[in-house]
Amino acid sequence: MPNHARAAGLTAIALLAGITAVSFAAPAKADSYPSRDITFIVPFAPGGGTDPIGRQFAAGLEKALKGSNVDVENKPGGSATVGISTVVRARPDGYTIGLGTNAALVYQPLVNDGLIYKSPDDYEPIVKMVELPSIIVVKGDARWKNLDEFLAEAKANPGKMRASVSGLGTIVEMVLQQLNKAADVKITPVPFTGGGGEGLVAVLGGRVEANVTSGAAGVAGQVAAGEVRVLAVAQKGKYEPFPDATPMGDNYGVTLPYATYVLAPKGLPADVKAKLVAASLEVVNSDDFKNFAKTTGMIVDPKGPEETKQELQQYTRTFQDLKTFMDQK
Amino acid sequence: MTTIDGILYGVSVAFTAQNLLVAFLGALVGTAIGVLPGLGPVAGIALILPISYSLDPTSGLIMMAGMYYGAMYGGSTTSILLNMPGEAASVVTCIDGYEMTRRGRAGAALTIVAVGSFVGGTVSTIGVMLFAPTLAKFGILFGPAEFLALVAGGLLLFSRISGGSFASGIFPMAIGLMLSTVGQEDVTGQNRFTFGLIDLTQGIELVSLVVGVYGVAEVMNVVESLETQVKPLRVKLRDLLPTREEWRRAWAPYGRGTIVGFVIGLLPGPHTTLSSFVSYKIEKTFSKYRGEIGKGAVEGVAGPETANNAAATSTMVPLLAIGLPYGAVTALMLSAMMVHGVQPGPLLIVNHPEIFWGVIVSMYVGNIILLIMNVPMISVWVSLLRVPNHIFLPLILLMAVIGAYSVNNSMMDVYFLIALGVIGYFLRKFNFQLAPMVIGMVLGPLIEKYIREGLFMNLGDPSIFYKSPMALFIWLVVIFVLTLDLQRAVLDRLFGIKTRTIAIGGGD
Repeated sequence: MPNHARAAGLTAIALLAGITAVSFAAPAKADSYPSRDITFIVPFAPGGGTDPIGRQFAAGLEKALKGSNVDVENKPGGSATVGISTVVRARPDGYTIGLGTNAALVYQPLVNDGLIYKSPDDYEPIVKMVELPSIIVVKGDARWKNLDEFLAEAKANPGKMRASVSGLGTIVEMVLQQLNKAADVKITPVPFTGGGGEGLVAVLGGRVEANVTSGAAGVAGQVAAGEVRVLAVAQKGKYEPFPDATPMGDNYGVTLPYATYVLAPKGLPADVKAKLVAASLEVVNSDDFKNFAKTTGMIVDPKGPEETKQELQQYTRTFQDLKTFMDQK
Repeated sequence: MTTIDGILYGVSVAFTAQNLLVAFLGALVGTAIGVLPGLGPVAGIALILPISYSLDPTSGLIMMAGMYYGAMYGGSTTSILLNMPGEAASVVTCIDGYEMTRRGRAGAALTIVAVGSFVGGTVSTIGVMLFAPTLAKFGILFGPAEFLALVAGGLLLFSRISGGSFASGIFPMAIGLMLSTVGQEDVTGQNRFTFGLIDLTQGIELVSLVVGVYGVAEVMNVVESLETQVKPLRVKLRDLLPTREEWRRAWAPYGRGTIVGFVIGLLPGPHTTLSSFVSYKIEKTFSKYRGEIGKGAVEGVAGPETANNAAATSTMVPLLAIGLPYGAVTALMLSAMMVHGVQPGPLLIVNHPEIFWGVIVSMYVGNIILLIMNVPMISVWVSLLRVPNHIFLPLILLMAVIGAYSVNNSMMDVYFLIALGVIGYFLRKFNFQLAPMVIGMVLGPLIEKYIREGLFMNLGDPSIFYKSPMALFIWLVVIFVLTLDLQRAVLDRLFGIKTRTIAIGGGD
């Protein structure tokens, strides 16, 4: 069927021409940045706790930069390292940026040799967005009324008390280990890896004694209904959504939060970076973003590139210490 | 608020112009997503997530729910017509659905499915209305021990789900299990079989497997047999409708499928996929016509497709009544609620009755819309079979590639799609069964997860797996079903009692 063959050939050529035209579009001049759509990579699946943060930021950035769409692209996998690696590898033109977390940016390189990033020197931190403090939750009718009672029982039964976490080597497990270290107890982490509040279900079903989770959003409904109670929060000072929770930062120095950042590939042109940083800071300082964070129990912590880099370097030491402690057992 | 008040209130919410429109749009887009191979409900709903943010939360959820059960319905269309499942929950529908198409009964099969989806969705909605608060905590009763019994028992039972010899089922299942171990495992974050490739840490995508071994392999199959292929006959309107006999045989599977789907939908996990597999297995074990299943029987289509719609509906129970998302789609709905500042949880029904009752009543409306919209579409779908192959096959391939890419926005998934297509083609040539491969891939990670969770939870002591009464009961049921043949032989030999042939595991 020569006619079909020719038609198919012509179509293919037309398609190829189109693709070529798009991919070889002249790189945008910095002074005209942004002149086309920006891709914002969220290294998690849609529907989790982190995806909405990325989407909220992308929507804000679109307004702040004016004239360009900011398209969210979910690229989950490998504890967020797949999506972050995509950003790190991308052409440094400001058109591919993405979300990173302290766990994926700092802890993963410590345990995962194959990653193409090792430290904040391998990418450009742009801005810090929000922090979610980790909280310890027990069943609503549990016999422990506060953290002290819980820790007293843990001390009397080393290794017998269990707390569900979302995986080993995650922020919430490290918070638990920080507490174990500081309070000299041995609470056993039990990984429930399915997401969607599975660790909470294990508490509700009475299969573990406690659940360690990040932020208020996932449990607020259960707390309001009296199904669960928040014993403690891993920060200094009281946590607004759960004012009765014991701040573990005050007595035990347990403060490790789940933190989210925006990053770009290394080697951005200086003026593009300046524009991106200014717009990003504008977003995280905006009322829209603050309201969003408030309703979901997140804490906005705007930091520019230098401060963010220092914070990430600081985390490297914290995680290294914790890893040493965890490896001993 | 009593249930009656709630329903009346829900009617007032669901019957506003906006909510009727979004229910319609959801069902329409969902059907399209289901029909396109590879583009599943999760990827599809993720695409409209930003749109739902601009709607009020009730409308957003109504639209998402509509897309979910719409996709469950639409997924069967290509299974039946082309032997290519639109998504994983419609894999078993290929077996008997495609056989029916080859016998010229495509229209009948599609009509049976449309009505079955309606029955499953509607009856399940009634169940949600009446029992939501009571049933919400059903899933909480299940811990790692109970789930391990369910999924490991399921793996044993499903190995011969599509008939054939033992080896022809167990070998592809082993491949499926092996493929499921590739990538970064969740518990400790170790990379397995990734050979240092970052992109492999995300693992092999189920969509690549399903669309590869069915879709791509089927395209190769058709190309190979182009010369000998018979053009489907022009279908008369009368042939689009099931015969009286076909209708009669569909009702029992509708009933069983609804119950199976409803119950499985209340549990965490890939419930729509599992419900269709379980329903198929039940039809094959207990149906009066079990001997014909696998050779184009109505039961093999009616049961599973009813079940996955019932499951897509009843999974709203844990989401709305206690705020726990038990699947990827409900997790998306949960995140849509949170973005609006609506707090999901046990108090949702008190604080936001408009969401609770509005969404439930809308599912009733949506299922009617789905039925009215899709029955006339059946003749259009069937006429797709007459599209010339040189146009049709490249389009299918294109859609398969787009679908595989869209799940994780990853080229790796596309490469696997093609590789698995080739593997699927050769497995078929050697008469291996493909459904067990999908089962291995779905259940493999779950089995590992529940074993590890159980051991961690019980501080390394495996007694947890047999000390739970519910787990023990599930294991006994599994053993009972597995040994039906043996039991029959024993009864016959020792006591001379003749029982009806139980076609366990195959029509052989």
